[in-house]
Amino acid sequence: MVLLLNPTLERPGLVKTFAASTAVLILGLAVLWSATDGGQAFTTETFRRQQVARQPQRIAPFNVTLADGNPTRLDTVLASGGKVWLVDFVYTRCQTVCSSLGSIYQQLQTQIEARGLQGKVGLLSISFDPANDTAPALAAYAKRMQMSPAVWQVVTLTDWQDRRRLLDAFGIMVVPAPLGEFEHNAALHVVSSSSVLHHIIDYTDFGNALDVAARMAGDANPSNTVVSAAAARAP
Amino acid sequence: MTSAAFGWVKGELIGKVIAGLASGCAVVAVALSVPPLRSVIEQSMAWHMVFQMPLLVLAGALAAGAWPQRFMLNQLTAFNHFGLTGFMAAQAIIAYWMLPLAIDRAVVSPSFDAIKILSLLTCGTLLFSAFKRAPGALQLFFMGYWVSMMCWLGIYFATTDLRLCNAYSLESQVSAGYGLLALGLLLGVAWLATVGWTSVRKALPSRIHP
Repeated sequence: MVLLLNPTLERPGLVKTFAASTAVLILGLAVLWSATDGGQAFTTETFRRQQVARQPQRIAPFNVTLADGNPTRLDTVLASGGKVWLVDFVYTRCQTVCSSLGSIYQQLQTQIEARGLQGKVGLLSISFDPANDTAPALAAYAKRMQMSPAVWQVVTLTDWQDRRRLLDAFGIMVVPAPLGEFEHNAALHVVSSSSVLHHIIDYTDFGNALDVAARMAGDANPSNTVVSAAAARAP
Repeated sequence: MTSAAFGWVKGELIGKVIAGLASGCAVVAVALSVPPLRSVIEQSMAWHMVFQMPLLVLAGALAAGAWPQRFMLNQLTAFNHFGLTGFMAAQAIIAYWMLPLAIDRAVVSPSFDAIKILSLLTCGTLLFSAFKRAPGALQLFFMGYWVSMMCWLGIYFATTDLRLCNAYSLESQVSAGYGLLALGLLLGVAWLATVGWTSVRKALPSRIHP
């Protein structure tokens, strides 16, 4: 305070300082504002969820293998039946978060069957550990999880080299964890039959995810157009 | 980092020691961003956020301390009375690198990591000149803000069940949280000690030569 009132200070200097400080403050706030999506997203996870919700993203086709060992493509799987899909990422050796995600998928499967949504909403688990998750491993996983094939499918990548690209497409970051496990951001990805990622929803909010998917399947795609669209795509 | 703490730093030899320390800190901090040491900051949030980032700021501050007085920033005194502009810019840089999404990006993208290194080194040089010019009240304002922000964030990182960084495990986040809390407290104590030491030094000669 004493310094502020000191008459020996040049006033123009203070004016310049205040102008410069204000400019720096505004610039700093602008950077923080744009980096946090308008002060709403402080984590990568929230940021990517808001980005996807605002601008749905097309998922490139990947070569995948089904639990019965048959090779196919991700877009073919997604297009089959004209459903909206809830996609999650797993590795079948997982003991931690994926097992709780697994039980959530079991609950979702039960709800889909109870609400008669089999023709509208599908569940798809994609393995990001193709080295260990071969077709027999997937089959064992499907059995362990009591998957009902009409509702819930599991696929693995056919080409190991696609792993990075697939994870980037969905915004998944996998971190090695102790005991040969992986830690990764787990969420439910709402993907349309035309391979467009529309929403990313926290797996603790799975009831809401099912509602969103059901609404998308009902509103955007009346069942007859979906069938014809799927038929048009079939060879 | 106050003027008094560095007031005695006048001899050429001491200047060289400080320059040496600055380059040492900078070399260690930058080496952590380059393979093979990069894996250390990729795997540990604490090494990244509580060691590398503060070390970069320290390197910047030491470098500013080693530079000749007339160099660079002194030309801009008119725009930086009391170090106010420097504090503002440092505040923006620090706030940005506390964001979990910024930390993630620095891990994933090397070019973003380069921006991190440059901005935090700059932050250090700005802080050096700002602390030299700022009256105690202004220092208290910014130090109080940073210390409480670090302590609060540290406690939050250590106690929340949410994984805030996609690049780090929850376990790593917890240790980074405790580290951040310790760093915040350490900074607060160091600043108080410097202020205390400065006032003692000011008081002493006046008693000897009234």
